[in-house]
Amino acid sequence: MTSKSDGLRLENLAMHFGGVHVFEDVSMRIPPGQVTACIGPNGAGKTTLINIICGVLAAPKGRVFLDGEPLDSTPPHQMVQRGVGRTFQDVRIFPSLTAIENVLIAIPDQQGERLRHLFRPGRSVGAEERRNRDKANALLATVAMDDVADRPAGELPFGQQKLVSLLRAVATGARILLLDESAAGVEIELIPRITALVRRLVAEESRGVLLVEHNIDVVREIADHVVVLQGGGVIASGPCDSVLNDERVIKEYLGRIYNA
Amino acid sequence: MDHIFFLGTLMCVWVMVCLAANFVIGYTGMMAMGQAVYLGVGAYASATLNIYLGVNYFAAMALAAVVTGAVAVLTLLPLLRLSGFYFALATLGLNFVFFDLFHNLGPRVEGSEGLYGLELPAALGSPHAQIVTGLLITIACVLAANRLVGGAFGRALRATRDRPDALIALGKNPVHYQIVIWGVSGALTGLAGALYAATLFYIDPTLFTLNASILVLVYVGVGGLASNAGSVLGAVLLIAFTESFRYLGLPSVLAGPIQQGLYGALLVGLMLFRRQGLVGNHDFQE
Amino acid sequence: MMSALQVLAIGFGLAGYYALVAVGFALIFATLRIFHIAHGTVFLMAGYVFFFLYRVGGLDVVSSGVLSVIVAALTGLAIDKAVYLPVMRRGGGLFSVFIASLGVALIFEAVFLVFTKGIVTVARTTALGIVSVGPVAFRLLDIFILGVVIVVYGLLYLWLHCTRRGLEVRGLTDNRALAAVVGMNVDQTRNVIFLLASALAGIAGVLTAYDTGLAPDTGSRTLFIAVVAVILGGVQNILLGSIVGSVSLGILTAYAGFFFPEWVTFSVFAMMIILILIRPRGLFG
Repeated sequence: MTSKSDGLRLENLAMHFGGVHVFEDVSMRIPPGQVTACIGPNGAGKTTLINIICGVLAAPKGRVFLDGEPLDSTPPHQMVQRGVGRTFQDVRIFPSLTAIENVLIAIPDQQGERLRHLFRPGRSVGAEERRNRDKANALLATVAMDDVADRPAGELPFGQQKLVSLLRAVATGARILLLDESAAGVEIELIPRITALVRRLVAEESRGVLLVEHNIDVVREIADHVVVLQGGGVIASGPCDSVLNDERVIKEYLGRIYNA
Repeated sequence: MDHIFFLGTLMCVWVMVCLAANFVIGYTGMMAMGQAVYLGVGAYASATLNIYLGVNYFAAMALAAVVTGAVAVLTLLPLLRLSGFYFALATLGLNFVFFDLFHNLGPRVEGSEGLYGLELPAALGSPHAQIVTGLLITIACVLAANRLVGGAFGRALRATRDRPDALIALGKNPVHYQIVIWGVSGALTGLAGALYAATLFYIDPTLFTLNASILVLVYVGVGGLASNAGSVLGAVLLIAFTESFRYLGLPSVLAGPIQQGLYGALLVGLMLFRRQGLVGNHDFQE
Repeated sequence: MMSALQVLAIGFGLAGYYALVAVGFALIFATLRIFHIAHGTVFLMAGYVFFFLYRVGGLDVVSSGVLSVIVAALTGLAIDKAVYLPVMRRGGGLFSVFIASLGVALIFEAVFLVFTKGIVTVARTTALGIVSVGPVAFRLLDIFILGVVIVVYGLLYLWLHCTRRGLEVRGLTDNRALAAVVGMNVDQTRNVIFLLASALAGIAGVLTAYDTGLAPDTGSRTLFIAVVAVILGGVQNILLGSIVGSVSLGILTAYAGFFFPEWVTFSVFAMMIILILIRPRGLFG
């Protein structure tokens, strides 16, 4: 059952805050090389799910596995080393760092971040920094943002901040990316850049993506699988087309969006 | 002329302290209000090693830096559970604690409140030798400081300041950077303390009180946060300014309070009109 | 030889001073998130005005006291209006306000230094009355201070729980933004908070000036202990937190001052660290 390329597996997760149940029993898989979208109304617990996976919240019930290995006891700051990266719904960019610095900071295992390498003679740290800059610049170029690389991220328009925060997660090299509302609040002309980037990560680098998203058009365009979270559990799960055309999903969730 | 050299060496001392304070306050966003504590630990450590154990003063300076770095980390660890104002207040409280410690436990020469009688090598033995040595050390510190904050490490510090939670999500531990930079800052301040003791020939607990910590805050605030140039500029300009003040011929009873009042006014003025200081890259947060 | 019980009595006397300063600081910090270092300045201001009116001006005790408290209240309000509000209006965050507050405290302390030359000034000219209960001697002034504390805390409790303004203040401690939405006048409530808190610090200042006297650094030292008291008690519960923190520190400083006079501030701080390690959010946080 468990294998090296199993991806991320959530088993029977439950969560409540005080007496309020967010969800009772959620299981799903986020396999590598695919986009798994998680949709559902506000309060269904989509962001909570990401926080549980990343170890920010502890679930009273259920477990999380990555490639068959339990992920539960990993502290949040080691999640990326284990292979799980994330973005935040509210962006959480480093405002006083430039756009390229925001991407650079995410690159793992930099010698220049360690004091004992910093003052060692030789120019290895400088060479490493130049290599990383090229890498970060190339990443920015994939979303046509290399022209704003040296502007403080806090001064960029909201959509570009979201793109930077997405690139930041990409630059960690994590095999599994949990993207929280990457298209929400983004100017409409930037959305194709996001979808193209996500598709490429999945197709070329075979990363696994969990896409928490309200924009059904984005889901329709890039998701392979869709999981619908509502009323404390998974009400539908399966290939994108069949789930989005499922009568119950349309009635319970999508219908409300379209009628709104 | 000797007095000018003496002042120059004092500027070197405070430049080093300000660089160190700016690492934590400006770059990392940790509200350190007890820098004088580490200045005192460095001064007492080097003086004690030199006077009582006969350690060569340069070796004593290096050891003082190491000891102070360790003391700094030890004092930080319990405070890491605090955030924001509480952290600031706790570091401020360290001034009172260490005053009691210096005063009650610090070694002292019989019949005095403090410590004197350093055996200084020739390179620190006279005002003009001191200014040369002091300048060399300070220049080395400025270069090292630029390297420290200029690359990936400095970036991680600023990210720690901006959004520690986001840094965690990128697989890096902000607490690690806070501890490391606090230790580095302490060590550099300790080194400055050792130079301070050599410059003054005499140290006692009253040199390392809250007032000295506030002085550092004013220098760094005026020079500018998150800028090594700001640290240098703030210390040099303000020391020159207060010294020139001395030539106005004010009675000495008034000089102290007037300087204090001016620094207070500078802080208020900065917060009202120029929060980032002269050449700063950041301002006081939250 | 002073008995342990006698030291306890002294501790309660000290606690009264701390409690008056602490509750005002907590009121401002819990509602407006302003770390009001210059609260110690307000305390000093009242003490020195009292000294001036009573000893120099020859006014009677009560009028001097009342006038001094009024001056203190206005000083606190003026600091907010002249410094904190403008800093915030120019985009400064709460930390900028904190630094500015420190600046204000430095300026006032310097002014007092110039006028007093750092000498301790005591306003009273006569010895204090004492009543003995068994082996323990109580100073009448301490009993008076504790009476004042009880009345002040009682009135504050009624005010916070039974008046519209008090309810608004408690609303601020829970959620600022919500309070603004509900349509209360945050600016006016802010004025009331500053006036009230400063008046309480003023009462403590007047009593200290009368009792043990003031030096220019008495303000910052008293404030430091009061702030530690607030941290010990926790800011969530303004009244209970302040009073419990103040009484603990009053007793602690009395015993420390008696047995280890060289280590008083050290013990205050050590107690804070220990408590923080056990309960990071204060006793009632």
